[in-house]
Amino acid sequence: MKGAAGETAGGLGPVMWRPNHGYDDVSTKTLGFWLYMLSDAMMFTALFAAYAVLGHAMNAAGGPLPGTVAHPTHAFTETLWLFSSVLAYGGAMIALKKGNRVGVMAGIAVALLVALGFLGSDLHEVTRLFAAGATPERSGYLSAFFALVFYHGLHVIVGVAWMLVMLGQVAVFGLSEAVVYRLLNLRLFWHFQAVMWVFMFTFVYLRGAII
Amino acid sequence: MGIHVHLRVFAGRDYMTESNHSTFEHPEVQLAGTGYVAAYVAGIALMGLSLMLVKDHALDPTALGIAISGIAGLAALLQCVLLLHMTLSRTQIWQTVALVLFVPLFILTIGLTSWMFHGLYQRTMLRPIAASQAMAPAPLRAPR
Amino acid sequence: MLVHIDGPWSPLLGRLALTEIPYKNPILVGTFLFAVVLAVVLVGLTTYFGFWRTLWRDWLTSVDHKKIGIMYILIGLVMLFRGFIDAVMMRTQQAMAVGPHSAGYLDAVHGYLTPYHFDQIYTAHGTIMILFAATPLLVGIMNILVPLQIGARDMAYPYLNAVSLWLTAAGAALVMASLFIGDFAHAGWFGIVPVMELPYSPGVGVDYWMWAFQLSSIGTTLGGINLLATIVKMRAPGMTWGRLPIFTWASLSANLISLTTFPVVTVALALLALDRYLGTHFYTAGLGGNLMLYNDLFWIWGHPEVYFVILPAFGMISEIIPTFAEKPLFGYMGMVVASLGIAGVSWGVWLHHFFTMAAAPAVNAFFSITTMAVGIPTGVKVFNWAFTMFRGRLRFDLPMMWASAALFFLLVGGLTGMMNAFATNDYMVHNSVFVVAHFHMMLLLIVYAIFGGVNYWFPKVFGFRLEQRFGRMFFWLFTAGTAVVFVPMFTLGFMGMTRRLDYVAFPQWQPLLDIEVVGIVIYVLSAAFLVAQLYVSLRDRAQNRVGADAWGTSRSLEWITHSPVPFYNFAVTPEVHARDERSWRHERGLDDAAPVVYEDIHMPCKTAIPLGLGALGFGLAFALVWRIWWLALLCSGAIVALIVIRAFMTGTSYTIPARDVEKMEHDRKRGAAKPARAQVPGGSPAPVLGGGT
Repeated sequence: MKGAAGETAGGLGPVMWRPNHGYDDVSTKTLGFWLYMLSDAMMFTALFAAYAVLGHAMNAAGGPLPGTVAHPTHAFTETLWLFSSVLAYGGAMIALKKGNRVGVMAGIAVALLVALGFLGSDLHEVTRLFAAGATPERSGYLSAFFALVFYHGLHVIVGVAWMLVMLGQVAVFGLSEAVVYRLLNLRLFWHFQAVMWVFMFTFVYLRGAII
Repeated sequence: MGIHVHLRVFAGRDYMTESNHSTFEHPEVQLAGTGYVAAYVAGIALMGLSLMLVKDHALDPTALGIAISGIAGLAALLQCVLLLHMTLSRTQIWQTVALVLFVPLFILTIGLTSWMFHGLYQRTMLRPIAASQAMAPAPLRAPR
Repeated sequence: MLVHIDGPWSPLLGRLALTEIPYKNPILVGTFLFAVVLAVVLVGLTTYFGFWRTLWRDWLTSVDHKKIGIMYILIGLVMLFRGFIDAVMMRTQQAMAVGPHSAGYLDAVHGYLTPYHFDQIYTAHGTIMILFAATPLLVGIMNILVPLQIGARDMAYPYLNAVSLWLTAAGAALVMASLFIGDFAHAGWFGIVPVMELPYSPGVGVDYWMWAFQLSSIGTTLGGINLLATIVKMRAPGMTWGRLPIFTWASLSANLISLTTFPVVTVALALLALDRYLGTHFYTAGLGGNLMLYNDLFWIWGHPEVYFVILPAFGMISEIIPTFAEKPLFGYMGMVVASLGIAGVSWGVWLHHFFTMAAAPAVNAFFSITTMAVGIPTGVKVFNWAFTMFRGRLRFDLPMMWASAALFFLLVGGLTGMMNAFATNDYMVHNSVFVVAHFHMMLLLIVYAIFGGVNYWFPKVFGFRLEQRFGRMFFWLFTAGTAVVFVPMFTLGFMGMTRRLDYVAFPQWQPLLDIEVVGIVIYVLSAAFLVAQLYVSLRDRAQNRVGADAWGTSRSLEWITHSPVPFYNFAVTPEVHARDERSWRHERGLDDAAPVVYEDIHMPCKTAIPLGLGALGFGLAFALVWRIWWLALLCSGAIVALIVIRAFMTGTSYTIPARDVEKMEHDRKRGAAKPARAQVPGGSPAPVLGGGT
């Protein structure tokens, strides 16, 4: 190993090494999280596929049919809750753009409260169905229906918990780089589940009312 | 010296210990904007349109299915652009590419599954359509 | 909501009771004693050599991608051994239990394994070989190589990388635990529905299988995200897409598959769990369930998974052949397109696993055609390898032997695969051992590529080459064993022998089954030579030390850094000029071009949290298997708490000052002449530098 040749090459020949080559940490983190969200979308896809297979009248096994279970108007009020929460989180992001720490926290808090409204509405719907005997173990159709409803609901619950954590993080650390990329990831998560809700609303609630 | 000193603003910081104000200038943070309001209005309007179409049974079932699917696709596309910033900009290109690569898989998974079970049911079930019509829907005794 | 389970259940221990320990089964007692002796020996050796501290500080809490890769490979090797023992038991049982007059031992009417035990063995064999041997081995190799090949310091998310590892380890541990506590699934590695449903499998076997599967699949999905983000975001300057080493391209394609398909199997198994725990009706035969839905969802993952394991194997072959043909890879762009093409086509072929479902003819035709279409990119690859060898200066070192033998298995497996791709033909051979022999050819191709890859990159990671003489004997015996086992298996398949027989009714099959046992004996012999090879390599490591380029004709970027690779990979990030950067530098006499200016290096601190998450994952899965609800709640709560605590931790990375990097680099140069310090792979940071948590 003779170093001399190499060192002259480093000085005169082509560039061999790049000291202080940095990476964009924030966008690396958000890309990975976006890939995770896409894999989550794949889980939704698999559940939708299961719903497509089990969504026939014969899968209701004599129990409640899609037309009686899916309640489009109520689902639309849930849509309003959910989209409003998404908008509030968007407000937090606009505050973040200016480095407005209070604005960020206020936006997240509003998004959180409105999301709780969605959860309450969701819970009310599920309780109503359960009371009427439409439980997941009643039929293959209802299993697939509730799998989708609860999987989306789980996203909202996780989102709420994450918002709580982020309120703590913003309070403790301020808007440090780690907090910022987590806020961006939460944005992806929260806005993404709204996109999934569009499909839930259309293919579960509205479509159920057509059949 | 042939060595290029190559510095970027966000290079390898111990991010937890220092509050880095330039983080706000990160292009992904700067993506936020009034597009969110547009997404909100458009999303609610489109979902409301779908709801009205279904409530009024404005079309026959097949056409209605196609219409609300189209509206859902449009709403999702708008949200992807306005909320998730799926654009071809330098900041977002990989996110967009990843999404575009995924979309065929969503369609394949649901489409091929539906197709194969459609054929299967036709061949193995006792006339599912007729059976479904014969089957009386169970009454749901809940207040609506 | 919870399904009522017949049999005893206590709030404290769930379904767990002393009767669940299979102390009456001599085979399992023997296995248990073997495991205990092995554990005592390992603990004794660790204590004797004072290795505990190193084990904890440098391995268990490490976030270094090379060490994580090595641990993945170790898990893979241990599970490969376990799966191999299962294979030995299946072969011997089938050869013993032939015809109505065959003798029975140990409670079995024929042979020495009861049907229920035999069913568990083939289920374990398949599950282990695919999920806990092939997958960790390949993920481990990707983990080690991808950052080195693209000139990165580590993966994009070193912490997440460790989490993936420990989740996989937790899954493997769960499979092992099922040996001694309760039993394992008996419904085949891909799960036969509705046999897996609670009424037909009331025991804990299916639960063990299901949760072990879930743990490893979550680990692999996260690993896939990590590798993809690493390849997209962490490439060294100059490493354009057109210069990406071919193994990295193969890893990229493979992880596109893992990212997209593992979520589907997660759903498939989660729905099974809902059926078994909450009494839903996804896959039940009655009440509106559809058991073919399980097959559909499972194979949406299952078939792409095959390509997830085969693409890195192709990538390794593509790296080995040019080195030992002393030529650049023929048709690089073709290879890239073929890899991505295989990943893409893999998404449209899954129904060929259940052609006999009775889907409409058009559906079967569609999936036949897509399945055959896989042959096109694969053929492109084979021809590219052949043209790479054409007029090359071929050198048959061990890696090259394994890589070129792999091509023969690809040929046999690929052509029989084409036969199976015809739906009409598949109706004849469905569920026969012909299919079993076919996919073993494909998986052996992967095993060959792995052995080739391990031999090829071992010196890069550990600093010395593996011994060649015993290695060659291992290679030839292993190849002979493969031929002697699988040629009769193809034959038996044509004769109509079905899979999973614990009793063979036709005495005329006895000779062929006996030949398979001979093959297994040859395999066992070959394993002895593998051990000998490893032992001799370790003993004579001083003679076999290598420089940066272990083979003299290596081509890609990982060969420009030291062997073994320092924990920071590259002292200074390299500038990449060509597709085969090492060759490019070598041809210009720039092999020894050392950096002039050093820089501070930022590295992630080691942490015990991933290990804790893995342990809690194991605890959660174990609690769910035995329905110990308090433990399940406790573990889930602790997992969430750990994740949140980690989010509030500061000081998760540290900096190595440039002057220390320079000093270490100079020490290494002097050390190359006389290896003073124990050179563990990845080295270890000098104590002053550790800012550990």
